[in-house]
Amino acid sequence: MRSLVFFLRLFSWFSLRHIGKHWFQAMLVLFGIALGAAVFTSVRLSVHASLRSFTSSMNHIAGRTEKVLARPGGFLPESLVSAIINHPSVRNASPMLSGYVQHFGADKEPFLLIGIDPILDRPFRSWQIAKGKPRKVGMWLDLLKEPYTLILGGALARQYGYAPGEKIKLEHSRQTVDFRIVGVLAPENLALAEGGRLALTDIATFQEFTGLYGKIDRIDLRLQPEQTAENFQNIVSTLPPGVIMSSPSERRESGQAMIRAYQLNLSILSFASLFVGMFLVYSLVALNAASRRHELAILRSTGASARLLFLIFLAQGTVFGLAGWLLAIPISSFLIKYLLHGVSQTISTLFVRVTVEQLSLNSWEIFLSFMVTIFISVLAAYLPAREAMQVSPKEALSIAEHSEQADKPTLRLAGLGIFFIVLVWPLSKLPGYAGVPLPGYIATLLLFTGFAMLSPWILEQLGKALAPKLRRLGGMPAYLAGRYIRGSGNRTAISVGALITAVALFVSLVIMIHSFRQTVQLWAYQTVSGDLFATTKMGEVNQFRYPLSPEVIRTLTTLDAPVDLVPNRRYFLNYGKFPYEFELLDVVTFLRYGSYVWLKGPSETAIHRLISGDGVIVSEVFSNRTGLTVGDLFRAQIETSLVELPILGVVRDYRTQGGVVFYAMPHFKRRFHDPKWGGVRFFLRNRNQNLDAAVVSLRREIIEKCGDQLGMISGKELRQSILKVFDETFAITTILLFIAFVIAALGITTTLAVLVLERTSQLNTLYAVGASFGQIRRMIFWESILMVIAGETAGFLCGLILSYLLVFVINRQSFGWTFLYGLDLKALVFSLPLIILTALMAALPAIRLVFRQPPAMLLRER
Amino acid sequence: MRVSEKKTVIETKALTRIYSLGDSEVIGISSINLEIAARELVVLKGNSGSGKSTLLSLLSGLDRPTSGELKVAGHDLIKAPEEQLTRFRREVVGMVFQNFNLLPTLSVLENVCLPALLAGGWPEKIEPKAIDLLQWLGLGDRMAHQPAQLSGGEMQRTAIARALINDPAIILADEPTGNLDSRNGQLVIQLLAELHRTRERTVIIATHSNLADAFATMEICLKDGMITDTTCEV
Ligand SMILES: Nc1ncnc2c1ncn2[C@@H]1O[C@H](COP(=O)(O)OP(=O)(O)O)[C@@H](O)[C@H]1O
Ligand SMILES: [Mg+2]
Repeated sequence: MRSLVFFLRLFSWFSLRHIGKHWFQAMLVLFGIALGAAVFTSVRLSVHASLRSFTSSMNHIAGRTEKVLARPGGFLPESLVSAIINHPSVRNASPMLSGYVQHFGADKEPFLLIGIDPILDRPFRSWQIAKGKPRKVGMWLDLLKEPYTLILGGALARQYGYAPGEKIKLEHSRQTVDFRIVGVLAPENLALAEGGRLALTDIATFQEFTGLYGKIDRIDLRLQPEQTAENFQNIVSTLPPGVIMSSPSERRESGQAMIRAYQLNLSILSFASLFVGMFLVYSLVALNAASRRHELAILRSTGASARLLFLIFLAQGTVFGLAGWLLAIPISSFLIKYLLHGVSQTISTLFVRVTVEQLSLNSWEIFLSFMVTIFISVLAAYLPAREAMQVSPKEALSIAEHSEQADKPTLRLAGLGIFFIVLVWPLSKLPGYAGVPLPGYIATLLLFTGFAMLSPWILEQLGKALAPKLRRLGGMPAYLAGRYIRGSGNRTAISVGALITAVALFVSLVIMIHSFRQTVQLWAYQTVSGDLFATTKMGEVNQFRYPLSPEVIRTLTTLDAPVDLVPNRRYFLNYGKFPYEFELLDVVTFLRYGSYVWLKGPSETAIHRLISGDGVIVSEVFSNRTGLTVGDLFRAQIETSLVELPILGVVRDYRTQGGVVFYAMPHFKRRFHDPKWGGVRFFLRNRNQNLDAAVVSLRREIIEKCGDQLGMISGKELRQSILKVFDETFAITTILLFIAFVIAALGITTTLAVLVLERTSQLNTLYAVGASFGQIRRMIFWESILMVIAGETAGFLCGLILSYLLVFVINRQSFGWTFLYGLDLKALVFSLPLIILTALMAALPAIRLVFRQPPAMLLRER
Repeated sequence: MRVSEKKTVIETKALTRIYSLGDSEVIGISSINLEIAARELVVLKGNSGSGKSTLLSLLSGLDRPTSGELKVAGHDLIKAPEEQLTRFRREVVGMVFQNFNLLPTLSVLENVCLPALLAGGWPEKIEPKAIDLLQWLGLGDRMAHQPAQLSGGEMQRTAIARALINDPAIILADEPTGNLDSRNGQLVIQLLAELHRTRERTVIIATHSNLADAFATMEICLKDGMITDTTCEV
């Protein structure tokens, strides 16, 4: 206890006072680490909020369900309910139908309408009508007695301002109908799913509303206690073909796994900012240790143990971590406002639908961010602390400036660095695990570390090679700067290392995003070709499960406008745990106007065989995720049919949810069953007219003839929206990138500032022997130029390697896709000078520090 | 004080430097009147804190006085703009410090060349001269070394060479022996004396040791920032 008090007191004497004197650098470092911690924390908390909302939605909807019966991509016959309910192993069974509908005339944000049998459903889900004034027992039975009644979720009632007894007009792909509101759900259990944006109705009403007579989505089951595997098998064997029994946890877990993988990917990206922040702490603590060597020796000679000095420096790191983390709290609460929405949006488009209404402060996430920040700062202080520990008390006697870094083995360090960089190659060949490109991330870390280890050697070489030329170029100040950089060893190397990291991130992400966007654009124009797309209203959120009616199809096929139709049907399925779409389309007509972006192929025979229905082509994502490729057999249960077809080719596809398998629609109908039209795309036959105007009149004709029954979007709008989603997804990346860069610039500022302060007497000496103010300022400026040049050149190289890793390893392992690699020369040529400029701006505060102490201080005895 | 009939290089009238530390004030030197002729070897004596370094920092153009007049080698250091001060430091004075103040990243030879290079001289012309100086100071075999590899005496001799490279008329040395053992201290004082004798420089040595007394042509005693007439007791 006494020793702890003594330690704290010594720490405050020795470290805190010093930090207080040099508060400017300390603040910069704090700000840097706080930014890093804030980004890390808020990114994780945002994803966590999505994860939580998804999980609770899934749990509330599942209720006490133990098993679920469903038919992939299709519906079950309602008759199955009575058959299964009488099975001896089944305790309870409840049919369910659900789909997204929208409030007529209000915002177009769809919400979930759930159709249940209120009596059969009692054992499965709990929900309550909120206590209002006219409350009678069993009010929910009104759902049964009266058609077109519903119970509204709390959030919807609030948003649209409805009270029980009022009518609400709902719109579905088939019709628009008035529902009477029987009650509002109390905010508990089922009513919490989808953030309260849901409504309950009787299953018969749902069927009438949507035209799904005699059909249901799924049957939820509760089994008799003590089930044997035999009984279980018994249930399965009584099921009609194509009906699959699964547990609700499976869907939940596969969704959770995807969100978690995304969380990890984002965490690692945001970790880059913390990593750069770590450089900052390291540089300040190391400079402290180096510049106060003499004081350390004095402390040692007055009886301080080596361990004590070690602990003092470690404590410095801890204090930075602690204060940085505290400072991160206000920054996070600001950042999170922007991230929460963006992240849930991205998860909804990329993986599973989530509705996040508020942030949940998860104590584990907060603990994690605290530990990570402290750990990183302590780790950053570890090496300097070791160095401080090795100061011998004898040095207290020497007066000359100790240039301990004069002969550091830069070459050996560089050799090790190169070794690390070379290791990246074999690592990039290793496979990832469960959507997490671990080897890719390790390779990235090795790459950064390798280049950071190279930087002292690079600086030394730069100083050596350039010093004579610099004299011609920038006179004496440039020459001195070169000499200083050459001999300064680790001091400058640290912040150059941080700059390398930031520039490399920048360059590689610019290249990746550019390649990605170019490829997506190519894909959008070739594969998402078409002048107008039509499908049932809310087709996409309802996973295209409501096909177009025969009358609509008849109308569409007999339009006056000269168009070609490519009907299609998309099934949302799972291959094992991996979600994908099975898309049927009229390939012959499609290939007349559009094409695929082939990854393997295209061979004439592959296209020919696709047209003649011999096999399927699969997307790169599907192939990478399932391991299936050309020549393998694709197998799937689709509605009532078991489909088995060889894979003919692999194409690029960037639709967001999982992979795709394409097959010729007419052949599917012939070989398996009639898939019905889920949607249709129109191609204008005459390509030499004003296409926009033609699309407008086509649309007008369809509305005239079919009424407002279809969801329509022009091909142009669709492709634009694809690119917009793309850009929004990368907005988060860009923010993170920007922050990493700001932190690196702070690093340059700190290093230069510390270098200036530490060299006060050297700079004063220069002044005393005849240097002018201008010459000294120019020297500092040249030092920063050299550091920036070294950081930028090495960072550019590092970034090129990293971009390869990102495009061909990390993206492939985490999303399953790769892109056509393309250097975005324009963006790079334009932005690199900008980076140089920023980094040089970062030098200005340091230059202003020159001569904060008057040169006459030289004559003061120290 | 002796008044020399030789040409005066340093002339001060009521020279005062007061340091203000927040609200309190500390007197560095106060009302110093001096006339120093060319080619003197002045020993500036006084206890620690008596104002020796303050006076040298004013004479060298490193600092500006609070009040008074100060002329050195024809430069009016009160009125001189910053550019003139820079030129003054390059051409007129050479400085030697107690703690040597060599730049650790430069070699011995480079340290010596530095002032001439800063003044815009050609390396081809400066280097032979620096080598001559170093050889004269007995450092011929140390030219490529880093300062950290030298002994204290060698460092101070390097500093003297650096002070001489621009052929200044005045050498200002502040406690040049303060960090040296007595043998090396003696050597440094002898070198400064030789500069005075054979190279005809004005040399001012601030010290509280007696090593330089034997070579002095003039002695100034400071006490509490003022010149005293009583003999120096240090
Ligand atoms: N930069 C300064 N700020 C405040 N006081 C100073 C400063 N430099 C010198 N002094 C004060 O001026 C007086 C003279 O100091 P100095 O010239 O260093 O004496 P000496 O060199 O003879 O030891 C001392 O009292 C000292 O504390
Ligand atoms: Mg002094």
